[in-house]
Amino acid sequence: MFPIANNVRAEREARGMTQSELGAAIGLTRQTIAAIEQRHYSPSLEAAFRIARLFGTSVDALFHWEE
Amino acid sequence: MSFRYKSALLSLVSMALVYGWFFATLMLHKFGGRHFSPIASLGGAILALAVVQIVGHMFIAGTSSDKYGAPDERERAFDRRATMVGYYVLIVGALAAIGTLHLGFSAPDVGHAVLLAVIFAECTRQAVFLIAHHRAG
Repeated sequence: MFPIANNVRAEREARGMTQSELGAAIGLTRQTIAAIEQRHYSPSLEAAFRIARLFGTSVDALFHWEE
Repeated sequence: MSFRYKSALLSLVSMALVYGWFFATLMLHKFGGRHFSPIASLGGAILALAVVQIVGHMFIAGTSSDKYGAPDERERAFDRRATMVGYYVLIVGALAAIGTLHLGFSAPDVGHAVLLAVIFAECTRQAVFLIAHHRAG
């Protein structure tokens, strides 16, 4: 598991989006969104900013270091 | 399973089976004295692989909703890792093939060693891609 935790799942579900819809909106596959949410993959900085922009929040609010 | 995962699995299995048959037949000819036509067998193997790949990809495309999607950053990272490992396998295989030249093997044998190195490197590349997919969930 990667040390970067995130609130992507909670934010996505709060907006009623599916993993496929979120992936399509920011240019990632559904499998990658699932991997990010399960902390099996740390997205690139660009992808993190894209997700944050889409949710209207900051990268800091979405991702945080957790050991 | 994504389209690219299925594609890599199909490529790995089909290459291992088709070229496995080719090299097994080659070994039977070399050490067992069985009749063998290298050009016809290699041509047959390439043709069989092309048919299996085309038909197989048509089938998996029909069962995958993401067949038109471009690979994203995660899949490109898997691909880079797989290509890097496959490259090292290719280099070792190429050096081993050059080694057969210095050990006095015939030109067709050296050619077969080069072919084996290329196929082994490609199979390694596909296998590493699949393993990376598995590990990353």
